[in-house]
Amino acid sequence: MDTILSLLSPEILIPWILSMVLGIFVGAMPGLTATMAVALIVPLTFHTPPIVGLAMILGVSFTAIFAGDIPATFLRVPGTPASGAAVLDGYEMNKQGKGPLAIALDLTCSTLGGLIGVLILITVSPILATFALKFTHFEYFWLAVMGLSMSAVITKGSTVKGIIAMVGGLILSTVGVDISTGYPRFAFGHTYLMGGINFIPVMIGLFGISEVIRSIMTTSLNDMGNAAVSASVKADFRSVGRVMFRNKRLIGQSSIIGTLIGALPGAGADIAAWVAYGMAKKTSKKPEAFGTGSEEGVIAPTTANNAALGGTWIPALVFGIPGDTITAIVLGAMMMYGLKPGPLVFQGDRVLVNQIFAVALISQGFLLVLGFFGIKAFTWFFKFPRNVVMAGITIFSIIGAYALRTSVFDVGLVVIFGVLGYLMERVTIPLPPFILGLILGPMIEENLRIGLVKTDGSFWPFFSRPISAFFALVLALLFLYEPVKKLVRRRLSRGGT
Amino acid sequence: MKKGLLVLLVMSLAMGTLFAGGAKEAKYPTKPISIVCPWAAGGGTDRIARYFADALAKEVGQPVNVVNKTGGSGAVGHLEGANAAPDGYTIMNLTFEINTLKNLGYADLTPENYIPLLQFNEDAPAVIVSANSPYKNMKDLIDDIKAKPDGTFKFSGSTIASAWDLPRIRMLIDAGINPAKVKYIPTQGAAPAITELMGGHVDVITCSYPEAAGQIEGGALKALAIMADSRNPSFPNVPTLKEQGINVSGGTWRGFAVPLKTPEPVVQYLIQAFKKITESQEYKDFMSKGGFGVRVRLGKEFGDFMMTEYRALKDVMDAAGYLKK
Repeated sequence: MDTILSLLSPEILIPWILSMVLGIFVGAMPGLTATMAVALIVPLTFHTPPIVGLAMILGVSFTAIFAGDIPATFLRVPGTPASGAAVLDGYEMNKQGKGPLAIALDLTCSTLGGLIGVLILITVSPILATFALKFTHFEYFWLAVMGLSMSAVITKGSTVKGIIAMVGGLILSTVGVDISTGYPRFAFGHTYLMGGINFIPVMIGLFGISEVIRSIMTTSLNDMGNAAVSASVKADFRSVGRVMFRNKRLIGQSSIIGTLIGALPGAGADIAAWVAYGMAKKTSKKPEAFGTGSEEGVIAPTTANNAALGGTWIPALVFGIPGDTITAIVLGAMMMYGLKPGPLVFQGDRVLVNQIFAVALISQGFLLVLGFFGIKAFTWFFKFPRNVVMAGITIFSIIGAYALRTSVFDVGLVVIFGVLGYLMERVTIPLPPFILGLILGPMIEENLRIGLVKTDGSFWPFFSRPISAFFALVLALLFLYEPVKKLVRRRLSRGGT
Repeated sequence: MKKGLLVLLVMSLAMGTLFAGGAKEAKYPTKPISIVCPWAAGGGTDRIARYFADALAKEVGQPVNVVNKTGGSGAVGHLEGANAAPDGYTIMNLTFEINTLKNLGYADLTPENYIPLLQFNEDAPAVIVSANSPYKNMKDLIDDIKAKPDGTFKFSGSTIASAWDLPRIRMLIDAGINPAKVKYIPTQGAAPAITELMGGHVDVITCSYPEAAGQIEGGALKALAIMADSRNPSFPNVPTLKEQGINVSGGTWRGFAVPLKTPEPVVQYLIQAFKKITESQEYKDFMSKGGFGVRVRLGKEFGDFMMTEYRALKDVMDAAGYLKK
């Protein structure tokens, strides 16, 4: 209780809440990521007490990861990489006029997911952190394969087209310096290609710009002057309670998946969201509704990505090992505050650790309030005519892509993949498997190849280590259970006649 | 008549720019300055660059921004810095990688593509093992590597040919071990390498002492040596490699430079401004808090240091098989 009271002074509250407001803006702006917001805040906090800086960092990351879902739902542009999966059903719901319900679900489930993630952090972090240390290249390989297999789960329609998209993403992911040998691949001596194709501008182009092109192609000139969204864009909180209660098991499941994946030093909120989405579809009673505006498809990723944030602090606090890019910056900042990140922080100064826990919990309450106003502020944008909104999306996408690495190269990527995304959808090749291939390709390749370096080329440890074996088994079950069941049933019925 | 007027106009314009140029040189700087940082916002290089940006802004009375140009193991940023307009308004934050980019085939850049201003930092890697490993000093470790069959020993630390990898190869060669006898597990940086070591997936890592200080002082890891010329006053109980009979020192460093053809008065102005910052107690405190070592080399001395390193590292990379021919 004293811990909570110690936080309620204006010196802490004002920067804390201001940074949460900044988080809404950064998250809702495509290309500006939560990591970037944290990196910019950190130098401001060197002269403040550590808890002020940590409150600002925690606050900005929770609101930014939620706010990424706002443009994902209304504009089909993921605001942060962690909102890639939120596009799928959120935008579909919006097209059916249920955008307000979707965004209200996003806010409440983000808060709840964040809360569960933080509670897991508070209660069992030493155990989870020790478990996370058992993960090395073999286990990360399977985790990435599992993520990639989600592209088969989430593909609607033709499986072949899904595979084409996924392989396209995988091939693109091989561009750049190869980490296991240091050799530049498919760079053609071009220094910008050495850095690889960053998936953020690709994602903005494929989803956002392609939707702008589609909209221009399909809307008649007369309609261009009308408001972008005719129905009133207001967060619909009336039915939220009912929907959430109906999906309480899914919220729990997605929170746990999110926290666990977040706790692994090699995977973060973006992968957590995709895996939670895929698992939700696999365990759903109505899997066919996914991708057509399913409530479950909205709830799973938005819960998981906020839950992952709590997870990323688990290895950071227990071992001083970053769980993602945000906690990596936090650990650097802690040194500037005069703290030695690592086991000593957790064992020694419990006051600070308790303060961090309290900040993380209270931030969820602030998120609920600030998120509500954030949605309100965002919706006035839709009162503008369609042509203004479309131009606005294009401008923000391009500014965001440039801000990412202050690189015109990335702006080019947005434009190229915008056109490509439009063409892909014209021939009904799905976009999500392409993104998954691009994000997970390097993770699969790096872990497989470095794993093989460790074992002198033997694949055995990929199956013999307990956690690896477990993952391999889960994957086999995930994909073989249905066909085998069908086969057995057919045999049995044939045997009977 | 008209033609005459035109000539006059052109002449006066030309004179105007000439004078303007002269005036600009006399009162540099008159507009905001950018520091190109080749690494991402929030990392070590970026943190120091932002400190310098604030300090330099106070020194010269113009805003100073840090621009992160990341990608290609530092190649993108270093290229931007070399190709910027040589007017003193773009300052390159050079890092260790400038010595390896060309030999790795990432970019056609060497230290000679810049006018060096000054070096402001130097960090030596430490040799770090798990606290419950049997090694008490470098001799134990080296003897065990020699005794074990080829390919059983696993090192890690950072990416291939990085500031934590190349000194490791130097160390092995000097101790009489073929670098190919051990495995190197490349990671994206020191943090994942520390994770690998704590999980027991590798045997030894090389990274700076402060990067692993939390784990070392928490009792999970121990440092056998640092690859510096003398012990570091911040952690005086860690002996150097030289004390233990391996004649190797060196590691990473950071510095500032400007593009070739930048006017000499601007170069001198910036060197003096930066020198003043590095002499302040505030700077020394900032660096020691962040776990960064201070080492200042000015102008030509910095340039000579880089070129010596550049040639030495080429041989090391050749021995490791990293050299792109």
